[in-house]
Amino acid sequence: MLGLAAISLVLASSVVIGVWGVRAARSTPDFLVASRSIVPGWNALAIAGEYVSAASVLGLAGLIVKNGVGAMWYAVGFTAGYVLVAALAAGPMRRSGAYTVPDFAEYRLGSPRIRRMCGLVVLVIMLLYLLPQFKAAGVVLELVSGIPYWVGVVGAGLVVSSTIAVGGMRSATYVQAFHYLVKLVFIAGPAVFLIALAGPERREAALDPSADADWSRPLLDLDGSGHPLLATISVLVATTLGAMGLPHVVMRFHTVAGARAARRVAVSVIVLLSLFYLWPVVYGLLGRVTTPEPEETDVVPLLVPGAIVPGTAGAVLTALVAAGAFAAFLSTSSGLLLALAGGLSHDLFGGSLSRLRLGVVVGTALAVALSLPAADVDINVLVGWAFAVAASTFCPLLTLGIWWRGLTATGATAGLLVGAATSTGAALASVVLDLEPGIVSVLLAQPALWTVPLAFAVMIAASRPGSVPDWASEAVLRLHVPGRYSSGGGAHNDTGAIPRARRENRVDAPGETG
Amino acid sequence: MNQRVRVTSPQTRLALRRRSDATRRLSRLAGRPPVGRSAIDLDDAERALRRQRRLAARTATLLLLALAALLTAAAITPGRLGWAVLFFAPYPVLLLLAAVHVRRAEAIEADYREGS
Repeated sequence: MLGLAAISLVLASSVVIGVWGVRAARSTPDFLVASRSIVPGWNALAIAGEYVSAASVLGLAGLIVKNGVGAMWYAVGFTAGYVLVAALAAGPMRRSGAYTVPDFAEYRLGSPRIRRMCGLVVLVIMLLYLLPQFKAAGVVLELVSGIPYWVGVVGAGLVVSSTIAVGGMRSATYVQAFHYLVKLVFIAGPAVFLIALAGPERREAALDPSADADWSRPLLDLDGSGHPLLATISVLVATTLGAMGLPHVVMRFHTVAGARAARRVAVSVIVLLSLFYLWPVVYGLLGRVTTPEPEETDVVPLLVPGAIVPGTAGAVLTALVAAGAFAAFLSTSSGLLLALAGGLSHDLFGGSLSRLRLGVVVGTALAVALSLPAADVDINVLVGWAFAVAASTFCPLLTLGIWWRGLTATGATAGLLVGAATSTGAALASVVLDLEPGIVSVLLAQPALWTVPLAFAVMIAASRPGSVPDWASEAVLRLHVPGRYSSGGGAHNDTGAIPRARRENRVDAPGETG
Repeated sequence: MNQRVRVTSPQTRLALRRRSDATRRLSRLAGRPPVGRSAIDLDDAERALRRQRRLAARTATLLLLALAALLTAAAITPGRLGWAVLFFAPYPVLLLLAAVHVRRAEAIEADYREGS
């Protein structure tokens, strides 16, 4: 019950902050002045808040217990992705003035058809990413309150979609920044207590690498496939390149003032992620000692406090961790649902507000329905697939689109098709076929190692560079030229202010009609 | 004069305008050179693109090398030291790579501004 109370508190404060944030934005007479008051720090906090999902809060520790310390490579890849975001995407994407990846594709390639294709890919990635978030909500609620998994998942769906409808997520920057802090404090705080209370014996045991050679090898072995190096590299490729192609992350960079600020925000995100990723390790190492064989690996961080500190103190610590986990679910799933709904309504079926709302409802329903049978799949496996698909589709599209003038609509279409088909196909095959552990099973379960180069190659080959049209060449050049480029609605330049409405909450949140 | 007006928040208006925005930008670019304030010097822009691309390729390569080095270090270092490499070493390295890249990218942009 304590856990439920803590979760409700997080939920209530999110709604309050959301409503307050919207009021603050409205009551300011001059949007321009208000816009300068949002420092890039808030944006970095918000991006980290949206990005640190259940995979990081719950999944990592569980995976450490199950597969060994090598699971930390997931965290390394999640963070390394932002080096690429800063180096390859953030600045130019901000300058394109496009709000989403499909927007960018249309801007760069001049084909409305490719917008719809990208919209479809957004849908696939967002759904793959949403599933594990709902699974996390289900297992957390089941653990803290005893309600059945499916009730928890459906309830979480109702909560998230109604929070978005109420408008609590409209002021997404503040809410997500708040969620980052909740996650950090509620995961790090109990971890510090647990280290102190675990006692010297347990601490010694947790830090003993000689206990189990397979487990303590700092490489990621997938279900004993016997190819840990290959698996680690493929996970690194997927997570590093995938972070760059995640539609909801790309979207977030449009809430930043300009290209310069966008790059700097990416660097700040690395700092925030590094601060966070120290803590799942604590739960993972202590979890191996205290709960060596959990029934459900994804709830390890919730089991550790009770195992170390019995009684009320343990219950309080568990409640805090549960609240942190729920904050992860809330912020990530809201961001994902808004991106998904935006994709559904704008990129696939011409935009209107009622469709946007419908998109949220349809997206939630799909994610809930799909996460019911996914109860047994590890959170990080599912999130890993979302990253693999993003790495095999949008990563090549953005990289080539930004840096190579020769990319054409034909090439991009072919590459997107091949990348999406091979990466989703491989992931599905690894579930359906139930192969013997070995090289093939690794390359199907973690396909990024071959699907990403394939997608790049197809995009380049099918583009058949010949004479690049002037407008395409200029579209690329403009992405790298500071200042002076006014995009779309308002006259703003690269470094100057833009109306707050554009920067704040670029996630196509449902607004108000009448 | 009793016309009904749909009142929407600024965010919503912008969201609904997205489509036409993208199309307009595109049609402005397609075919004819942009005029006035938004005109760019193509030669200067070309140089900026090339320099930024070299820098981006360099950072990406360094990232690849850094990750490969970390992977090797973690794999061959025995015991607790190997764990420490995996748990703590990657993040400062990643931060350094990103920070250096941003500094250099901004220097290139400053050159461009002065040169044009």
